[in-house]
Amino acid sequence: MYYPYFIAYMAAGFVISIVVFLWALHNGQFEDQQRARFIPLQTDLNTKPLKASRFARIETIALFSLVCIVLASSVAVVTFALMKAIR
Amino acid sequence: MSNEVTASIPAGNPTAKAFTLTSAFWFAAATSFGMIGAGYLIAPDLMANIEYIHFGRVRPMHINAVLFGFVTPGLLAAAFYYFPKLLRTELFSQKLGVFTAIFWNITVAAGIIGISTGHTQGREYAELPWIVDIMVVVSFVLVVFNILMTIRQRKESILFVSIWYTTAAVVLTSITYCLGNVIWKPDTGALQGIPDAIILWFYGHNIFGLLLTPMGLAVAYYVLPIATRSPLYSHTLSLLGFWSLIIVYTHIGTHHLLQVPVPTWLKTISIVDSVAMVIPVMIVLINLWYTVKGKLGDIHADIGAKFVFTGTIYYFFVNIQGSMMALPHVQRITHFNNWVVGHAHIGVLGFAGLTALGGLYFILPRVTGKPLYSKFLADVQYWLVLIGITGFALVLTTVGLIQGNAWYNGETLYRTLPEIQPYYILRASLGTLIMIGAYLGLYNVIRTLYFNRGAST
Repeated sequence: MYYPYFIAYMAAGFVISIVVFLWALHNGQFEDQQRARFIPLQTDLNTKPLKASRFARIETIALFSLVCIVLASSVAVVTFALMKAIR
Repeated sequence: MSNEVTASIPAGNPTAKAFTLTSAFWFAAATSFGMIGAGYLIAPDLMANIEYIHFGRVRPMHINAVLFGFVTPGLLAAAFYYFPKLLRTELFSQKLGVFTAIFWNITVAAGIIGISTGHTQGREYAELPWIVDIMVVVSFVLVVFNILMTIRQRKESILFVSIWYTTAAVVLTSITYCLGNVIWKPDTGALQGIPDAIILWFYGHNIFGLLLTPMGLAVAYYVLPIATRSPLYSHTLSLLGFWSLIIVYTHIGTHHLLQVPVPTWLKTISIVDSVAMVIPVMIVLINLWYTVKGKLGDIHADIGAKFVFTGTIYYFFVNIQGSMMALPHVQRITHFNNWVVGHAHIGVLGFAGLTALGGLYFILPRVTGKPLYSKFLADVQYWLVLIGITGFALVLTTVGLIQGNAWYNGETLYRTLPEIQPYYILRASLGTLIMIGAYLGLYNVIRTLYFNRGAST
C-alpha cells in the first residue's frame, strides 16, 4: 500500500510550496525583476569577455554539426515508432 | 549589492574545493566501473570469477558513483561558490561544508564497497544498503542546513533564480530519498509488488528531475550571463520556469511503467506531465539562449561556459526525448531496451555531467586565485566527453531500435544478440574516450588545486 506515503509526500510538498510561495510574494521576491537580471554580473566584476578565436568559431560549427546528427536520430526514432503504430 | 561586500568575500573557499576534488575523483572511478560493465557486454565471461566486480555489482557501482560521487558533488561545488556570491555574504560555515564533503565521500565509498561486497537492496537506482541510505540523508540535511543559514544571513534581498533551484533541489531530495528508499523498512528497503515499482520510479526519476536538473540549471543561470557579460534575458521568466518545473516534474516517473499493471489514472498523469515538461524546459532554454544570443564565440573561449552551454543543448535533447517517449505508441518501440540507456546517459552525462564539469572549470580559477593548470587538457577533455556522449546517443539509439523492433515483432531475444554485439564494441570504445577524459580532468583539477605555479589572477 503506497497511497499513505504518497499522500503524505504530496501534502507536505503542497504545504511547503504554498508557504514558500506566499513568503516570496510578501517578501518582494517578484519585484524589481530588472535588477535581478544583473545580479550574477555584479558578483563577478573582474571577468572580462574573452576574445573569440577562429578555433572557437570552428568548435561552435563542430558542436552544431553533432547537435544536428543527434537531433536527426531522435526524429528518425519517433517517426519510425509512429509509422509502426499506424500500421 | 555593494561591490565592497563582494570584494570582502575571501577568494579561498575550502568547501567548493573539497566538492570539486570529490567530483573529479568519482568521475574517474565511475567511468572505470562503467568500462568494466561495458567489457562484460562484449565478453560476458570477462573477469567472471571476480565476484566483487561482476556485472550485477559493477553496474550499480557505476550508477551510484556517477549520481552521488560525480554529478551531485560537482554541482554542489559550484553551488557552494555562487551561494555566497549571489547572497552577498559568506557561507554560513566553511567548517561544516568541509565536514560535509568528507562525510559525503565516506558515504559514497561505503555505498560502493557495500554493493561490491554484495550488500544491496536490489532496486534500480536505490541499491544502497539501509545504513548508507541514512548517511545519504544526513549528508543532504547538512547541505540544507548550511545553505538555509547562508540564505538567512544574506545581504542581498532578492534571491536569484539559481538560489531557488538549488535550495529546492536539496530540500526536496532530502524528502524524496527517504520516501523512494522506503527507509522506514530497514530490512528490505522496499514495499511489495507493483506499489514498490511505482514508488521506485517516482524516486528514480526525481533524482534526475528534482536534484540534477534544478542544480544543473542553477549553474547554467549563473555561469552563462557572467561568461558573456550579458544580463539574464528575463528573471521573471526564469522564476516561471522554476515553479512550473516543481509543479510538473514530480509524478512523471510512472511513464517508465506504462506497460505494466499500474493504475490508469497514474499512467495518465505521468504522460500528461511528461508532455507538459516542454513548458519549463522551453522557458529555461529560451531564457538562456536569448541571454547568450550572438555570443557563441565568447562562450567557446571560456572553458567552463563551453561545457555548460553544451549541457543546455543536451538538456533540450533529453527532455524532448522524454516527452516523446512517454507517448504509449512511441514507447512500444523505445522502452525496455538500450534506447532508455542512451536517454539516461544523455541526461546524466550529457546535461548534468557536462554542466557539473563546466561549473568546476568556471569556479576553479576563482577559488584558487590562479588560472586553470591547463586549458588545453580541459579542451581535450571537453571533446573526448562530447564525442563519447554523442556517439553513445547514436549507438544506443540504434541498438534500442534493433531490440525494440525485434520485440515488437515477437522475435526471440537471443537472436538479436549477434546483431547488437558490434554496437556494444563501439559503445565500449566511446566509453574509453569518456574515461580518458575523466582521468585527464582529475589530473588537471589536482594540479590546479595543489601544484599550480601559475601567476595569481
